[in-house]
Amino acid sequence: MTDSGSDSYTISVVRSGGFAGLRREWRVTSTDAPDVDWAALIDACPWNDVAKPRDSRAADRFVWRVEASDGSRKRTAKLDDGQLAGPWKALVDQVRSRKT
Amino acid sequence: MVHGIVPPYLLARIAELDDERFATAAQAARRALRYDEPRRAARLNFSLDASNNLVVELTDGPNRTIADAHNDETLPGAVVREEGDDPTGDVAADEAYDGLGATFALFSEVYGRNSIDGAGLPLDATVHYGVEYDNAFWDGQRMVFGDGDGEIFGRFTASLTVIGHELTHGVTQYTAALEYQGQSGALNESVSDVFGSLVEQYALGQSTTEASWLIGAGLFTAEVEGAALRSMRAPGTAYDDDVLGKDPQPDHLSGYVDTDDDNGGVHINSGIPNRAFFLAADALGGNAWERAGQIWYDALALELAPDTTFAQFALATVRAAGTRYGESSAEADAVRAGWSTVGVETGDDDGLRV
Repeated sequence: MTDSGSDSYTISVVRSGGFAGLRREWRVTSTDAPDVDWAALIDACPWNDVAKPRDSRAADRFVWRVEASDGSRKRTAKLDDGQLAGPWKALVDQVRSRKT
Repeated sequence: MVHGIVPPYLLARIAELDDERFATAAQAARRALRYDEPRRAARLNFSLDASNNLVVELTDGPNRTIADAHNDETLPGAVVREEGDDPTGDVAADEAYDGLGATFALFSEVYGRNSIDGAGLPLDATVHYGVEYDNAFWDGQRMVFGDGDGEIFGRFTASLTVIGHELTHGVTQYTAALEYQGQSGALNESVSDVFGSLVEQYALGQSTTEASWLIGAGLFTAEVEGAALRSMRAPGTAYDDDVLGKDPQPDHLSGYVDTDDDNGGVHINSGIPNRAFFLAADALGGNAWERAGQIWYDALALELAPDTTFAQFALATVRAAGTRYGESSAEADAVRAGWSTVGVETGDDDGLRV
């Protein structure tokens, strides 16, 4: 099932941790950037099947929390830096570049 | 005295010397090669005794390899400098090389630990990771350093405390293996700050009063209102900036921050044990790496559980101080007082398997 065609999305990305331990947040709504196919970007992410961290011995890596909501449902995922690849990276990069 | 670092290939060459004048050196090199891992480096100290005889001492030496990711996020990157090589001229690569050497020196010369694992493990680092990457991290096998964005952060090799911090994560991995979550994660972070600071203090020959007790000084650009990322002397005061906000570190257990971010706030709550160490070191005076640092290092070697709490680690340091200096010693008292001041009591705890 795809959510393509829904009216409006709000996507937030929170980055915490790292050596500095600083918290950064980026947020965008689909109406702010209507040229982006947000539904496709969101649906491409495996929200219910987030891979395990690549190496539990790692330290000082960023921790990412990604949240996407369309009014009727909210999806959330927590990723470590090594997991931010593929569709997750595509979504996060787009939010960061379109931040409001 | 000639004091040089001898990479493995040179060690092999010395071992093959067939010259009476260097018989002792050749024997020492052969002994090192026979006992050591294939990639281990060693340090040979040459001196003359009172009778003008050549004295050769073999000590542990680092085996460093620095790679350049060329702004990609693929590790390890291309090797640009190996042990014994001349400087590359690349500031980040050379700072990483020198910083790994300074960190190795603290653990080896002060605590008798031969590298991260205590058995001569090669020290690997990658610089120029990613594009404008605002971080330095330990990936379980190597240290990785970004260049910073140039607006808030400069390069992460600029502070020796950062390099010492990252390598200490490796030491913790091979000793206490503190889980990177919650209180044990904050302890993991704090241990890295403690020895990151001690690496700098040892390299600069600073006493407790001369040391800055800052972590990451020099990383911020001039645009940021802040001296460093963390202050061990006064957690919560390292920066106060319009964009970044105020340093959120608590300096007392009553300010412990419960959060889902940052693996349970490991970089925030580390301020509490950081200050406990500073207070103990400050009370003892002199060089912090000698007594306070030795106690914290000894505590790491105790059989700590992966989910060790602040109270359990505090008890481990008190026991370590008692074992080395006596239970009624000034050292043990200083450690107890340090923890007590930050709200962590060391009375009893059955979670410590010692």
